[in-house]
Amino acid sequence: MRIESVEQLRKLEKKYRGETESHPVRVHICYGPGCLANGAQEIGDRFRKVIKEKKLKNFKVEAIKETGCHGFCERGPLVVLEPEGTFYTKVKVKDVEAIVEKSLGKSEIIESLLYTNPADDKKIQRYKDIPFYAHQKRIALRNLGQIDQTSLHDYIAAGGYQGLAKALTAMNPNKVIKEVELSGIRGRGGGGFATGRKWATCAKIESDVRYVVCNGDEGDPGAFMDRAIMEGDPHTVLEGMIICAYAVGSTQGYVYVRDEYPLAVVHLQKAIEDAEAVGLIGENILGTGFSFHIAISRGAGAFVCGESSALMRSVAGEVGEPRAKYIRSVVKGLKDKPTVLNNVETFACIPVILSEGGKAFSKIGTPKSTGTKAFSLVGKIENTGLIEVPMGTTLREIIYNIGGGIKDGKPFKAVQTGGPSGGCLPESKLDLPVDFDTLTEAGSMMGSGGMIVMDDATCVVDVARYFLSFLVEESCGKCVPCREGLYQLHQSAVRICEGKGTDDDLEIMQHLSDMIVIGSLCGLGTSGPNPFLSTIRYFRDEYEAHIKEKKCPAGVCTALITYIITDRCTGCLACIPACATDAITGKKGQVHQLAQDKCDRCGACYAVCKYDAIEIH
Amino acid sequence: MTKKDAKLTITINNKPYRVASDLTILKAAEENGIYIPTLCAHKELTPHGGCRLCIVEVDGFRNFPTACTTPVSDGMIIRTDTSALNEVRTEILQLFMSEHTSSCLICPETEECRAFMGTVRKAGVTTGCRYCPNDGQCELQDVVEKLDIKEIKYPIYYRNNRVEKEDPFFDRDYNLCVLCGRCVRMCQEIRTANVLAFNYRGRETVIGPAYGRTHVEAGCEFCGACVSVCPTGALSEKDRKWEGKPDREEVTTCSFCGVGCQMRLQVKENRIIGSLPVLDDPVNNGQLCVRGRFCISEVVNGHQRLLAPQKNAGDIGIDISWDNAIAGAAETLAECGPDEAGILISPNCTNEDLYVAQKFVRVALGSHNIDTSARTFYGSGFNAYLNLVQKATPLSEVAKASVVLCVGLDSRFGRSVVGVEIRRAMKNGAKILSIHPRQHNLSLLADKWVQPLPGDEVATLQKLVKLSVKKTDTKKKAGTEDDLAMIACLLKEAKSSVVLVGSEFLQLDSSARILALIDELAGNVGAGILPLPVQNNLIGSLMMGAYPELLPGAMASSNAKKAGELKKTWGVKLPAYKPNKQGGALFGGKKLKVLYLIGENAPNGDAPAADFVISQNLYAAEASRKVDLDLPAAAFTEADGTFFNGEGRVQRVRKAVEPKGQALPDWQILCRIAKKMGVSGFDYKSAADIHKEMSTVVPGLRTFERPARKPQTITVKSEMVVSAGKNSAAKKADKSYPFMLSACAVEHVYRGMALSTWVDGSRAIFREGVVEVNPDDARRAKLSDGDHVTVTAADFKKVWPIRIAKEQAPGTLFVVMPQGESLKANPQPVKIRKKNV
Repeated sequence: MRIESVEQLRKLEKKYRGETESHPVRVHICYGPGCLANGAQEIGDRFRKVIKEKKLKNFKVEAIKETGCHGFCERGPLVVLEPEGTFYTKVKVKDVEAIVEKSLGKSEIIESLLYTNPADDKKIQRYKDIPFYAHQKRIALRNLGQIDQTSLHDYIAAGGYQGLAKALTAMNPNKVIKEVELSGIRGRGGGGFATGRKWATCAKIESDVRYVVCNGDEGDPGAFMDRAIMEGDPHTVLEGMIICAYAVGSTQGYVYVRDEYPLAVVHLQKAIEDAEAVGLIGENILGTGFSFHIAISRGAGAFVCGESSALMRSVAGEVGEPRAKYIRSVVKGLKDKPTVLNNVETFACIPVILSEGGKAFSKIGTPKSTGTKAFSLVGKIENTGLIEVPMGTTLREIIYNIGGGIKDGKPFKAVQTGGPSGGCLPESKLDLPVDFDTLTEAGSMMGSGGMIVMDDATCVVDVARYFLSFLVEESCGKCVPCREGLYQLHQSAVRICEGKGTDDDLEIMQHLSDMIVIGSLCGLGTSGPNPFLSTIRYFRDEYEAHIKEKKCPAGVCTALITYIITDRCTGCLACIPACATDAITGKKGQVHQLAQDKCDRCGACYAVCKYDAIEIH
Repeated sequence: MTKKDAKLTITINNKPYRVASDLTILKAAEENGIYIPTLCAHKELTPHGGCRLCIVEVDGFRNFPTACTTPVSDGMIIRTDTSALNEVRTEILQLFMSEHTSSCLICPETEECRAFMGTVRKAGVTTGCRYCPNDGQCELQDVVEKLDIKEIKYPIYYRNNRVEKEDPFFDRDYNLCVLCGRCVRMCQEIRTANVLAFNYRGRETVIGPAYGRTHVEAGCEFCGACVSVCPTGALSEKDRKWEGKPDREEVTTCSFCGVGCQMRLQVKENRIIGSLPVLDDPVNNGQLCVRGRFCISEVVNGHQRLLAPQKNAGDIGIDISWDNAIAGAAETLAECGPDEAGILISPNCTNEDLYVAQKFVRVALGSHNIDTSARTFYGSGFNAYLNLVQKATPLSEVAKASVVLCVGLDSRFGRSVVGVEIRRAMKNGAKILSIHPRQHNLSLLADKWVQPLPGDEVATLQKLVKLSVKKTDTKKKAGTEDDLAMIACLLKEAKSSVVLVGSEFLQLDSSARILALIDELAGNVGAGILPLPVQNNLIGSLMMGAYPELLPGAMASSNAKKAGELKKTWGVKLPAYKPNKQGGALFGGKKLKVLYLIGENAPNGDAPAADFVISQNLYAAEASRKVDLDLPAAAFTEADGTFFNGEGRVQRVRKAVEPKGQALPDWQILCRIAKKMGVSGFDYKSAADIHKEMSTVVPGLRTFERPARKPQTITVKSEMVVSAGKNSAAKKADKSYPFMLSACAVEHVYRGMALSTWVDGSRAIFREGVVEVNPDDARRAKLSDGDHVTVTAADFKKVWPIRIAKEQAPGTLFVVMPQGESLKANPQPVKIRKKNV
């Protein structure tokens, strides 16, 4: 069936919504990557089987929804009963029968599966009341957890494609651009360039062909916002792209998905096919005469292909290397044609901006950074997961209110934002509002939204070394400052971690970093020394401890630490088999001995000791 | 004023300059003599922006932009030499050197080392300052000197790559590579051969063919364009690795085929050490093929070059003086009757040599006994080939064409310059079509490749010609799988099309028919036609009248008017011309008393080709050829002259070095013999003198120094009579002789010498006397590479080594016949058997 007009789409929305709401209870099973890894698929299968067996009245199998990521990955697998919003965490296959019997059959609540608030040890039934969700505002992630991942039916029922309908019928392209400009939205991929201005520039350039490209090459370690959107709500990305295409006058779009996201490709492909089948993509969209096609382009596993010019070369089938951008890609991009390249999250916001109005969007967040931003909150934090907050929310609010603070109540040490080329911020910066400009000023960056929280058992020199090694591996090798400079930086960091660093190393690193920033060709190089620059800015003492005292204060750098068995040892023998190098000897009931010359500082004994008898020095 | 030459005002280092608007900062600075250091930029290539050394300060720019990638704009204020810039540049350069084998760049003994650079002892030593062959020519060295780097403050991490020496012609030491990407861009943008690419990434990046193939496997044409642009010693020619910088260059025309590439010979101390293409030349557009780029120095510098005239008695040669040699030759020739002596001259010789040779025959010997090896090379198809040559369209038309049909053309090695034009056409949207019996370098890129098996060539072309007739409806058929219909349809609908004729079918028995069909096809569809002659001066040999049938100006020898004109110029009545009844055989098949070979081979055989054989060439003839007198001749690098290329363009050959030993240009030797014989009219002082006389009898020639003849077709006003008997249909393969064997003559020849004899690397790519067998056939016959097989036909038996070639179609064999050998029928059915060893 083709949707021939906007009226028909509106009717469909009403019809579909009615169909959805006709289910008294809907079971939303999180099929996000975290929950899938913990067995969400089996839980879903079990649900269908049990429901079939129990022959429940008033419950149809269609009311089981495989949704995108709910965000609270720490507590997965998650099952939510809508419309009530009952939130079951850490659900196991064996729990399914009980849920079906009690909650679906008799509307009872299973206490043991509810979330316990660590603050007061009370159970919370509805997810909206859980602090993790209560402090969030979801725009880009609005449909995640709410609709079936790839269902066009559900997307339309949730008001999908209404932004597009409005743009196509009530607005001319120029007005669409004005609306986006009014919203003040800035690129969510990290650059923070004003999206409206980008579109306006592209639309103005004379050309027979223009392209719209969606950047789904989310390469930062620990970041998965774009993945969640592409997998869990692919239609919103497509809708954003179509609106953009209408605004700038493009007929062909590409979604560039990194090779490591096969599921995203599958879901996007299905979404494209479904949308094509009903005439939302292709020729004569919604009977308005506007035509636009979308194809998926898969990456080949290179971080640098997230950079615009490298990405466009990769889409065109060339080697993914950046080029010098004396002409911006919006003027001369893919195949040398004007190209709008926006991030997945940016496109996901566009339908909302159109349907709710740019003004409403601009009121969220701060004046210069409007709207919300999704973050993947990971590291040594209680509630890891995917979150979305208004711009201007402070780091402290994110880490403590939403994230629930540091794991096991340890002290906070630093938070790393902006991916490998971002930076580390110390406790003193926790009250900074998170927006594009403030983070940059503080020596870090917004980036695409990775946020890694570290406790005091994290060595920042080691963190810098790790991120540098990532960048050395991912440098394309085209320009020398990045190719050789980052390698030299990394080697120096390795030396420091091994206790072989000297004061000269720090000086060379500082000097080298300045030069790499000035001299590199693309963003990967110019932000490449950030892991070093931001850590040396706030944690110089830690570097100096490594160099001068040959000590790793966090007890991480193996070359600089020793494990010692204290007299708290009860002689339980547990650490002896744990030691791979046979460094520990001793008899039951007697304090064990650790031979330092054999110890390779793997920390296995430290982990198994129940009496805190092993100390790191 | 057009947009292109619109001028802008920019300020560089506080001085205003007026520059064109389409320049980058780097080009604008270079035009005005301002130095900006760079390693990756190259004038022939698109900007890369990788080395980061050309950063400049521009007012209003956030960072330091690279000069090579930033276009100028009006009012731009640029600084190229500030301390801030130089500090960053110095750092970057030190980073370069932290991975580059850099001892010579910062060695405190650099000065002393330079002074003793050329010693024999050091040659070939691969350590210390002799690690890099590019000493003195290295751009990295230059930049280091300019930026005055004395130390590297960073720890050194060498790459420790293996030096790659497995491919012919050039070695690759990627320890010296700075990853500027010039070679990659050259291979991809200009040559469009796409052999080189960046492999891996980051510090691991290595240049080379993808997937770890060797250059030979990856389809490298060995054009050497990558070697020419390499700024360091990473790519170096095997032959001239340690030769250092040339003293000077001389522009000349390559003599290895009819394309007529313009090249710069690199001269060092009266020795050719290498050759590079002339940039922006209308013929070769800055390109050369493997022969022009890598083979010249080895051919002309061979240590076995004949240095003095040599008289042979049996197997023993005795050096004699020029006076004795001339006297001996003159005496022998003077003793002959008019029809008892003849000259066989190479179509590789210059116009001047050819002209003097034919005049020598017609005036001093009093006959028309002059010929070239082109007659035997083209065999029965000679006439048909000349018909095509007269229609030659300029090479520049190829890139402009919308359809290019290649017949029997493999452009990988010998014609790679033409290959570049074909790919350029393809880039411009042209359809490329190919008719070739084997997989070849165009089969992958061609839109359609038709593969006629040996024996089917005529039938295939006949079908195509039939389809190409205007009124035949091919459109319908083109949609089906009928390849020929599609080709015909494309040709008919093309706005402009060119048919390129390679040398694949030229030695087949049916070549005359094939060439005539190609002609008809081109005529039917209105395509331009460009035969690519193997002999560089084939047209010159026609225009100079180096055939019994032709007088200078390519007029028939029976043309009384022309004969009269020549009598006026030469002052001698021309001998009467009797048409040769047996045109296929040289000199009417008659055994001569004296055979005078100029750059040609004496026929091999037990009996001498004549009572007395004179061979005038670069090298002494092999003893088996039974030559009585060897005269040392100058190579094309050692004499002045002119050539006609395949398009009919006249080009200059310039003397770059003195002839080796006592060698002399061919015309000088001929003139000395003529004078000794007491014949007048041979008092030329120089090639220019000859040219002056020539231009009075050959139309189109005028100035010697700057030949003006643009590509222009020629008219041959005579029939070349060749024996017609061979033009028969090929036999089909059957049970007893299941394989079709086709053969071709050695194509890569200069003055009768196969390049593979004198050039080491060429043996790897030009295989002679090796049978190519399809892998499936080889498996069935239990053959492996290098095995010797006995090839048997009804009337011959030969033993050849084999090469298993996936290019070869099943059931077919192919061999390049060693020089002097030929098959009675070509193609013909044969059987093969592994030779018992």
